[in-house]
Amino acid sequence: MSAVYAYPTLVGKIEVAVRGASMDGKPLQLSLISQRDQVVALHQVERDDWTEGVLDLEVSLPTEELAEGPWAGVSCVAVLTEGATNTRVVSRLERRRGDTHWRGQVRVRRSTHASRALLDVSVVGSHGGVDGRILGRADTPWLVDLLGRTPSRQRDLEILEEDFRDGPEEWLRPFMDAPWLIDTTGELPTILLNTSFEGLSELLSGARGPLEKATAGLVAAQIAGEAWATMFHSALSDLEFDDDGTPHFPGGWRESVLRSMLPEVFPGLPLHDALREAHDCRGAGRGWAEVQSRIEVAAGKRSQMPKNLVATIRAVSRAQEGTYR
Amino acid sequence: MEDIEDFGVWLGRQLRRNGMSQAELAQQLKLTRAAVSAWVTGRAQPRAEVMVRIAEILETDVATLLTRDADAGSDRPIGWYHRIAHHDGGREYGNAAAFAFDASLAVLAREATQNSLDERLDPRRPVRVRFTLHELTGEHLHSFLSALKWEELEPHFAAAARSRQKVGRTLSEGLRALREDASLLLLRIDDYNASGLTGPEYEDGRYAAVVRRQLDSHKSNDRAGGSYGLGKATLWAASRLGLVLINSTLSEPHEGRTARRVIGRLDLPWREVDGVAYAGPAWLGEPDTEKTHEGVSRSWWADERVVADLQLDRESEDPGTSFLIVGAHDAAGNSDMLEDLHAELGRALSDNFWAAMTAGRSAPAMLEASVRSLRNGESVVAEQRVDPLDRHPALVHALRSYIDGETVEELTAPGQVAATEVGLVVPPLRTAGRKAAGGNHSAVLLVTPAADKDEKHSRIICMRGNRMTVTARSPRNLGMGADPFQAVLLAGFATGDDSSTTHAAEAFLRAAEPPEHDRWGVTEELTAAYANAPRRLTEFNSAMDTALRRVIGRRVPGGDSTGPEVLRKLLRLDAPAGVGTRRGHPAVDRVVGKVDESGAWTLDVTLTVPQRDGGWQLLPVVKFDVRSGGRPSLDWAELSAKENCEVVGGRLVIEPDVRSARFGGVTAVGSHPVAAAMAGVIVDVQQAREAST
Repeated sequence: MSAVYAYPTLVGKIEVAVRGASMDGKPLQLSLISQRDQVVALHQVERDDWTEGVLDLEVSLPTEELAEGPWAGVSCVAVLTEGATNTRVVSRLERRRGDTHWRGQVRVRRSTHASRALLDVSVVGSHGGVDGRILGRADTPWLVDLLGRTPSRQRDLEILEEDFRDGPEEWLRPFMDAPWLIDTTGELPTILLNTSFEGLSELLSGARGPLEKATAGLVAAQIAGEAWATMFHSALSDLEFDDDGTPHFPGGWRESVLRSMLPEVFPGLPLHDALREAHDCRGAGRGWAEVQSRIEVAAGKRSQMPKNLVATIRAVSRAQEGTYR
Repeated sequence: MEDIEDFGVWLGRQLRRNGMSQAELAQQLKLTRAAVSAWVTGRAQPRAEVMVRIAEILETDVATLLTRDADAGSDRPIGWYHRIAHHDGGREYGNAAAFAFDASLAVLAREATQNSLDERLDPRRPVRVRFTLHELTGEHLHSFLSALKWEELEPHFAAAARSRQKVGRTLSEGLRALREDASLLLLRIDDYNASGLTGPEYEDGRYAAVVRRQLDSHKSNDRAGGSYGLGKATLWAASRLGLVLINSTLSEPHEGRTARRVIGRLDLPWREVDGVAYAGPAWLGEPDTEKTHEGVSRSWWADERVVADLQLDRESEDPGTSFLIVGAHDAAGNSDMLEDLHAELGRALSDNFWAAMTAGRSAPAMLEASVRSLRNGESVVAEQRVDPLDRHPALVHALRSYIDGETVEELTAPGQVAATEVGLVVPPLRTAGRKAAGGNHSAVLLVTPAADKDEKHSRIICMRGNRMTVTARSPRNLGMGADPFQAVLLAGFATGDDSSTTHAAEAFLRAAEPPEHDRWGVTEELTAAYANAPRRLTEFNSAMDTALRRVIGRRVPGGDSTGPEVLRKLLRLDAPAGVGTRRGHPAVDRVVGKVDESGAWTLDVTLTVPQRDGGWQLLPVVKFDVRSGGRPSLDWAELSAKENCEVVGGRLVIEPDVRSARFGGVTAVGSHPVAAAMAGVIVDVQQAREAST
């Protein structure tokens, strides 16, 4: 779904590479920059308290097309944005005489970002007397990850083991009797396993024998099922909309969850229509009860509940045959 | 170089050439044999009047005796000596060593250049290797063949070509080309600043290893992996005629001389000529007069005219050897065009020896190589120095940084080279006894990000010795998503270290190589010499991988938070959507549009439509594009069907079996929140819902 403009735009490719990075003046290992996935992990194990990161950018533009095209005053800018903090920082890139690439530095201030910023590059120029026209844009923006230790687009959710009853986290006290808790309020969905719930950790991490293993599988499926359903609801409740009410996909883990579950909740609908349908049902209450059951089924499927249940039933019946014999 | 040869050495050779013993000379001079012996061994010099008598007996003048720059008497006739067939009737239809290699030009370039590198004389200068392709036709061909005494060889070639063995087929093809095309391709390989073919005619030495023996790898020191071993067979294999001529300038005098030691060797299969059976090899040279080798052709000290006629003239007195492959061809190549062969040689040299050709700021390269092509003495492709940077920029850069001591510990910028140690435990030799301990060798791994243009990358190039590439291995367990890199592993002498453990590591790795020297694995030699060798090799490989991972590898994904695996695997966010057989939906393929005078967008939209039985009802939607947040919707002033669809009440109705549809639309200016020219528009289609009014 690309936009059409009232002036000619660039056809050629705009390629962006982050050639190096540093944090508070200390150069970052290149292994924290992935050219392939276009991700920078602004992270150093030893330090959390950095204030500013600097990225060295190298951009190649379709030079001939620009030179022969009907545009004037062409410049190239890098735009760093993060929706969560409403940050938008524009840095101007420059091309030295004789150089084929545009280069420049992008500053990333820790205090203005939450977790992941997008780094886009646009070519801007004037056409027909109007300045500031966007003539072209990189196909895929780079991702600047302020939390990840590895430069990868995909992020897994967190599974933490906490003592709900006597642990340091005060807010978990009310849930001290719960074996686990699913928290989708943070940057990443988190599953908290209650270590004060006796035997749970041991069962999940160190199950031995067919019966124990089957039980562990069933409990894991139960937790995962709840997590998927919770994540789905949480993602659906946090959308942005066009004027006509069409919801946007939210990005991040929320988008991943919606994209993977919506086709099962609304089979036969295109993804965008399914999202609109889900949102409308939830808002208007029309058919929401029916949708609820479908979400539960889809979550169960994601967590392989049927398979794990079958395994448990078999293991139990085999164990019982054993005792009666 | 042309110091006056010792009289004794010169006299000894003249006696041999004349088939005269010291006693016979003494008798003619009416002197004792001891006196002659004293001259020959350099203990005494004959008096002037005796010199005159000696000159008479040797049929030369006194001046020659004094300058000793030529041999006495007429030149002994140069000719071919063919080895007589074995008494036991055994027949050899080819050289087994030659079959051990692919007979390609690339392999020849590798083996020949490796030999030159191993024989480098002055370690402060590179050994210079030059490949010359030379095509001869017409008069040039004719005079070369007559210098070669082709007429003596022709019956042997004819007989050998009749053999139905593999060698016979190659030969007859070579003879056919010579006859029908009337052209002959010579490939000459010269090296300078190398040892040259030193040593006696028949006993141990470099000369005998190349000219007289098979499978004898002459080892001059423990650095060279045995030069002129199996590899020399590639010289003869590269000749369709099995014919190689040699001219060597020696680094140590033999028979008191160094320049222009010439010999030719022909490798033919068993054959019968004029009722005599011949075993195989033949030599072009001077007939030997010594009793034990009577009639065998031996190397001779040729004059400048002869080496020029044989296309063997060397450009300087710098020691080294010229090999002339007569009837050269590329058994692996598709083309025998001069230009293609030229390019192939350049590629092979660059790919195999970029490391040896890499120089540091203060350290010279070990090797300089060039290729040129001639036709009848005229240049066809001018001499080109092989520049390792052309084909392997990132690797050369990595090695150069190491030589210049400019490596870093971790990579933080492009262009940097990281160096890290890789341990190799060298087990003790079995012969060293039970209590002997092994050594720990520190190999060096160099890593740098791959250049954008590198075709081959993300492999570890492993080398030892004088920086010969042994193998390129793909690392294991590198983890997901590492960017392309170039890596070089320097082991043994390639590290530049000279300690005893380095010597031990070099020997260990050499034992782990097959004759082709193209991998490190378990060989008979290795298991015979070392205990526990296979395990040490496996450990070495995994140490390489670990070192590489430290430099460029990513930390294991999920390292931030762990959690039980049984649970984690059910919660993967990147898992594909569960419904596999989702049917497609109509989608916008292309939008073309412009703003008209009234300020409205006129749009032309093409849809792709998947097939289904029921047809489609779609709602086209048009919006202004914005940077973030909600996009303002526009109203249509007009919608019109253009291809394969109908417009009914603001909806597109598409029949089943339609695969592509087109419609047009004009936006309602009144619904524009800003002027049309100031925004981009996007068009989408939604599935129309049941009328819900």
